[in-house]
Amino acid sequence: MLEEVGFVDVSYGNRIDTFAGAPGEEKARAYDVHGYTFMARKPD
Amino acid sequence: MATSELPVDADSLRSEVRDKYRDVALEPGAEHHFHTGRFLARHLGYPAAWVDDVPEPVVESFAGVGDPFAMRRLEPGERIVDVGSGAGFDSFCAAWQVGDDGHVVGVDMTPEMLDKARRNAALVGADNVEFREGFAEQLPVADGWADVVISNGVINLCPDKHAAFTEIRRVLRPGGVLQFADIANGTPVPPGALREIDLWTG
Repeated sequence: MLEEVGFVDVSYGNRIDTFAGAPGEEKARAYDVHGYTFMARKPD
Repeated sequence: MATSELPVDADSLRSEVRDKYRDVALEPGAEHHFHTGRFLARHLGYPAAWVDDVPEPVVESFAGVGDPFAMRRLEPGERIVDVGSGAGFDSFCAAWQVGDDGHVVGVDMTPEMLDKARRNAALVGADNVEFREGFAEQLPVADGWADVVISNGVINLCPDKHAAFTEIRRVLRPGGVLQFADIANGTPVPPGALREIDLWTG
């Protein structure tokens, strides 16, 4: 989607177990939900 | 995806999200489906220098899902937009990085978060940060103003992500950077579940 709207150099970082130990962990595990970091650039 | 094709009613979703984050602003210590506060910031790997000594009100309503500065630290003098700034923790982390020659604009749609963020700015003496009311899909920022847009756990709550990214692109200068943290699911969510607003907000 980032590239669809015109971003370039799209990259992402490590997967983060954001919900580990939280009340929402079970639901997060059901859909394999994790946190991620992303970076993209608007073309010059 | 056009607005008419969204799996949920956009206004209903915004209302539910606003209610959820009003609770996080006013009762950060209550049980939420996600972690909050200083514990969460440490869990996500934020540097201790940004987390350990900040006053509790500045960090207690933090509800991010990652560290948007992990892939790239901000540069002194940069102009930053924080989409979904909440009570301001990431905005203040940005302000400390860009310094007095930089500027940070936090945008949030929840009045209680905006009030708290403004009180927090006074608490930490952050003169290079301001907070404005608005939506990710309609940012109150001029075309091409920002060097960098950050966000943390917000885009997943937007009913129209294409519109949000298009708006972020609008406020970035040519060559500007979007760096953000968000959640993604590895297992497809059934179409019926996508229409359950409770699933979006927790």
